[in-house]
Amino acid sequence: MADVEDILKRIEAHKGVIGTVVVNGGGIPIRTTLDNSTTVQYAGLFRQLTTMARSTVRDIDPQNDLTFLRIRTKKHEIMVALENDFLLIVIQKPCE
Amino acid sequence: MFSDEASDSVTVESVWRKKHESHRDTRGCQTPAVSRCEAEIQSVSTSSSSSQTEPEQLRQPPPEAPEHPEPPGLGAFLQRVEELVVGELLRNSRSHAFDGFQVNWAEHRQLVSRLHLLQHPVAQETGLHVTCVSWSCTGSVVVCGYGRMDDGGWSTESSYVCSWNLDRRGLNPRQADLVIDVPTGVTALCCHPDRPALLAGGLYSGEVVVWDTSRTQDPVVALTGTSAESHREPVYQVSWVSLQKRGDFGVLSAGSGGRVLLWTLDSDQGRFVLDAAFAFVRQQVPHRVKTRGSSTVGVTSLALSPWDSDTFLVGSEGGLLLRCSFSSTTPAAVSSEGQSVTPRAPAVFSFRPCSGPVHSIHCSPFHRNLFVSAGTDGLAHVHSLLQVNPLLSLRVSDSYVFQVQWSPTRPLVFAAATGQGKVQIFDLGRRSLRPAATIEQGGAGHAATSLAFNAQNPHLMAVGNTDGTVGVWQLSADLSEQSPRESSQLEQIANQVAE
Repeated sequence: MADVEDILKRIEAHKGVIGTVVVNGGGIPIRTTLDNSTTVQYAGLFRQLTTMARSTVRDIDPQNDLTFLRIRTKKHEIMVALENDFLLIVIQKPCE
Repeated sequence: MFSDEASDSVTVESVWRKKHESHRDTRGCQTPAVSRCEAEIQSVSTSSSSSQTEPEQLRQPPPEAPEHPEPPGLGAFLQRVEELVVGELLRNSRSHAFDGFQVNWAEHRQLVSRLHLLQHPVAQETGLHVTCVSWSCTGSVVVCGYGRMDDGGWSTESSYVCSWNLDRRGLNPRQADLVIDVPTGVTALCCHPDRPALLAGGLYSGEVVVWDTSRTQDPVVALTGTSAESHREPVYQVSWVSLQKRGDFGVLSAGSGGRVLLWTLDSDQGRFVLDAAFAFVRQQVPHRVKTRGSSTVGVTSLALSPWDSDTFLVGSEGGLLLRCSFSSTTPAAVSSEGQSVTPRAPAVFSFRPCSGPVHSIHCSPFHRNLFVSAGTDGLAHVHSLLQVNPLLSLRVSDSYVFQVQWSPTRPLVFAAATGQGKVQIFDLGRRSLRPAATIEQGGAGHAATSLAFNAQNPHLMAVGNTDGTVGVWQLSADLSEQSPRESSQLEQIANQVAE
């Protein structure tokens, strides 16, 4: 669908966005703007991290669920939106 | 009578020719016979095999999947999530939540910790105070001078200059590596910026001495006598000044007799030659403030500007703070009989005076217009060279402040040694006016008289105390590593206009 590309392009056009990766339920990246090795690394590592974060949230409150994860590092901010096994990872450089 | 006679001819063999003939001899040799043998081998059984690679089946689909086979639900997922993600992106790009927030995973240590406490037992027994400390240019040797801070009259007790090498194995904090005996109390010390063995000192009697610590016999290289030219009052500051024309260094000394003298070293004859003299007289100070007292302005502190080799700053006993110039040509209004060099009046600009003697001034190594000064009023003033009034006045302690120094690595940090025995380290980048860290060395009743940052190892600092000890303290990375926006913050402070 053209929608998918449009949406991804709109997200990527935002100020400071370095790259985006879309990962499916099997941990395989299906759309990306980064190079191959980095994409594979992000996909694998964030799949693990989101699983752990999600189980943490659900352990604390079984009726709650994880919707969004933000990791702030020295160099940039990584945002992960997750739902139904899909993951959308966006890396943004905060403008100072 | 005469008859014919025939005699045989005589042959004389040539001895020379025989001598020059080489000695000849005949010899022969032959190699023994070479032994040979033959053997044969033959393989009994053979087999042959071969291998070949097969073309690999491409099992993994490439990450960039082709457009058309799209996993079901992807479009719907993205539509649901898009708004949320875009909202977060916008908010993040506008957020100031993390401004200035820095995490240091490497160190969790406390801000200051003491590494060594160096003492010289002989000086401690006689109750001498440490009056000045200095690091050598290599950063591994700390030198201190003993004397008395509270003496009113002349004292004839001898004192010491001690040095410890911190990088040596077997450092014994109770025994100095080198002890130099000095006839009177030492009031100022400065190590040479290039040659680690040279040390300049000012004494209570007004003499200026240069010691060469590499000489074992007699470390004194040059000594100004007590002549009409030299100081008659205690010398409160000595500094090595680089003399552009000759390329070597001279010694600038400031004494409470109101004179600042520039000496060059004549090491062959072991004496100083007076190169320039500056005298301060009340009438010649610009923007005169009406103060009582004698007409000479006793100099208690001196600072050289690392940015401008012509400028130096002077603080006096009466609280005056003056900017002076080496190249001034106005003759001073003092009698110059018996002097080889005519004294000049160097004061160019006068800052707002303090209410007590100015004990210490230091120019910022990061900004050409800033300097900090401190005196007996317990305040540390941050001044700009361009303005009369101080930009900032921080209350350091309730008693005297003996020394202030800017940190050599962090533009916004300076340390002050107080009469209550504590060294307060201030960070101008923090919004609060309280010190960032405090070093307490001696017990109550003792004052911290001097401090020195180590330019080579920026996490070390030496503090001298009136109980006769020199403490070497380690500063954490917070206090010694520069953070990104400090220079611009310093620039902002310097450009403020004082009210």
